[in-house]
Amino acid sequence: MKYILLMSGTAAGVEGYHSRPKQDIEAHMAVLHLINKDLSESGEFVATQGLAGPKEAKVVRGEKNGIPVTDGIFPESKEFLLGYWIVDVPNAERAYAIAGRISAASSNMPIEVRQFATYEATSR
Amino acid sequence: MKYILMMNTMKSGHGVPEWPRKDLQAHVAFMMAANKELHERGELVAAEGLSFPDQAKLVRAGKDGRPMTDGIFPESKEFLAGFWIIDVDSPQRAYEIAAKVSAAPGPGGAPLNMPIEVRQVMSGPPPDML
Repeated sequence: MKYILLMSGTAAGVEGYHSRPKQDIEAHMAVLHLINKDLSESGEFVATQGLAGPKEAKVVRGEKNGIPVTDGIFPESKEFLLGYWIVDVPNAERAYAIAGRISAASSNMPIEVRQFATYEATSR
Repeated sequence: MKYILMMNTMKSGHGVPEWPRKDLQAHVAFMMAANKELHERGELVAAEGLSFPDQAKLVRAGKDGRPMTDGIFPESKEFLAGFWIIDVDSPQRAYEIAAKVSAAPGPGGAPLNMPIEVRQVMSGPPPDML
């Protein structure tokens, strides 16, 4: 079963993170690397990515005269996806355990856990 | 350059829409054709749909490091319904693709013009953080 673990935060939260002491950021990154390494070794790792900051985000709605209509103005409260992990695990509890470990490494930030849609998941 | 295109919906609007069957089929056929075209152009990295919000959980580490799960979300929360990861030459091309999937047909074949959030995917943490 594939799950995506989503880490989200606001633009203000991202700025706060970048203003932390360098060694704190390095320690955080080191734990995240260790988690990725453990997931690779257990065969549960599918993918992980960080996204570029909210300043570069755009929302696109349809097109006008063949040109995409883009908007880059977001409310302060908007939560942006900061990064994600895709894992392939035997059950939901294992996905929650991995999310808990990532959360514990990241100031107990909440991690949203979502299963990939499958025929079984969508046709109940 | 890799981009992620995110299709977000509110909790209330997230489920199989109650459209006439032929409109649903036209919508799905449009998305499949769009994915096929991206694949043929070598721009498609991944495309996935996610299960519905009633199965979503929010996990935080507890004091003992165990996962604490919560499944109660405010009505205003945006949920990721699905995403595409694409590898393109420019942000403009990413916006073009986003506009195309945004205009997927809805009821009666009218373009939905759904908002699609476009974000660049970083290849890794900045070198000074490693």
